[in-house]
Amino acid sequence: MRALCCLVLVCVAPFLVGGCVATALVPVAAIAAKGVSKATVAARPISDSEEYYIGRAVAARILTNYKLDPNPKLTEYVNEIGNVVARKSSRPNPFRGYHFAVLDTEKINAFACPGGIIFVTRGLIKACQNEDQLAAVLAHEVGHVVHRDGINSIKQSRWTEVWTAMGKEAVTMYGGSVAAGLVSLFESSIDDVFKTIVVDGYSRKAEEAADIVGIQELCRAGYDPNALVAILSIMEAKGKGTSSGMFETHPPTAERLAKAKAEASHCPPAKGVALRAKRFKKEVS
Amino acid sequence: MRLVKYCLALGLALVLLLPGPGWSEVLKVTQSNQSLYPDPDFGDHPVAQVPVGAEVSVVNQAGDWYKVEYQGKTGWLNRQAVVQPQSGSKFNLQGLLFGTPVKQTSSDEVALAGKGFTPEVENTYRAKHPNMNFAMVDKIESFKVAPATLQAFIQEGDLKP
Repeated sequence: MRALCCLVLVCVAPFLVGGCVATALVPVAAIAAKGVSKATVAARPISDSEEYYIGRAVAARILTNYKLDPNPKLTEYVNEIGNVVARKSSRPNPFRGYHFAVLDTEKINAFACPGGIIFVTRGLIKACQNEDQLAAVLAHEVGHVVHRDGINSIKQSRWTEVWTAMGKEAVTMYGGSVAAGLVSLFESSIDDVFKTIVVDGYSRKAEEAADIVGIQELCRAGYDPNALVAILSIMEAKGKGTSSGMFETHPPTAERLAKAKAEASHCPPAKGVALRAKRFKKEVS
Repeated sequence: MRLVKYCLALGLALVLLLPGPGWSEVLKVTQSNQSLYPDPDFGDHPVAQVPVGAEVSVVNQAGDWYKVEYQGKTGWLNRQAVVQPQSGSKFNLQGLLFGTPVKQTSSDEVALAGKGFTPEVENTYRAKHPNMNFAMVDKIESFKVAPATLQAFIQEGDLKP
């Protein structure tokens, strides 16, 4: 009988002793060991899924300032155009796909959130003269998603905060399911992206690169590649004398327009522009 | 004799309460807009949609992906679909006995982005910022263009297929 008792204790002891030892040693050893690997892994690019969650939060923040346009037909139309150009991009399938939404405001603007949520304002749609110009706006915004411009706007200095998060993690790992430091970093990143896409705008270089990608998408989809230059010119005229709007921070300079024209010249003329202009008039009016 | 009984009971309890191996596990989908994929890859076309609250039977696992069965269809579901909302008061015998495990996955994700942005982080962020309009974001993500509709749109507009 004593032998049986010993057998049971032998079976159970490793769980109990091991658990206690693990509890005591893991915080010190594991965190120290993870510190080395973290520094290495932190240099890796952000994953598509992480970009997606940042994008959702940025979109949620934008939607604290704007309402969605209540017209489902207009939203459907914008999604159809958006999908036509996005499927011709070099990044046709982000983590959860592209989703296009119309903001209920007369302001002229468009935002590409990281991961594939793209907003266009009703004011900008009304400023477009035809479907091809609206496609150009959406293709340009898809270009920002393709280049991950939103994510790239997160300050490099935040990468060093990994180490801070590690310190906090050591404190919180036994108390909560998500370390508070992580949420703080999440907030900071959202602030960076929001500030860039809504307040400051992207760099001139990023805008020009998105133009090029957008024109290539238009060309592959069968839209007029000159439509981007056309809508940029309209925006320039409308934006003159105003202190806000889509191109206030990064206006369509002569150099930008010239580069866009040069890119468009590589693409053959589009068919069906007038046909689509009729569709636009019907859907947008 | 009494000691033997106690030991046996303790051993039996541990065997029963500790999680065991095997793939008879049923998972509940907690996130919206989830799909089953033919392979563990988001790049594939989904084989089925899985709504929030759906229960799926796990038949295999590979990394962050579960191979599951749902309504007669088999496909791969990413683990982010079944992330549990935060709860601070769940009783956990294993945790009580051995301490809360080091969250290696979360830690790696911290490193991955310098942030570790996962559904768990979003849940905590949402609780901290109730003014953020995630309901509208979910609505936007429900906007989908059916392939047939898109093809008709392309054809009607004289666009390239």
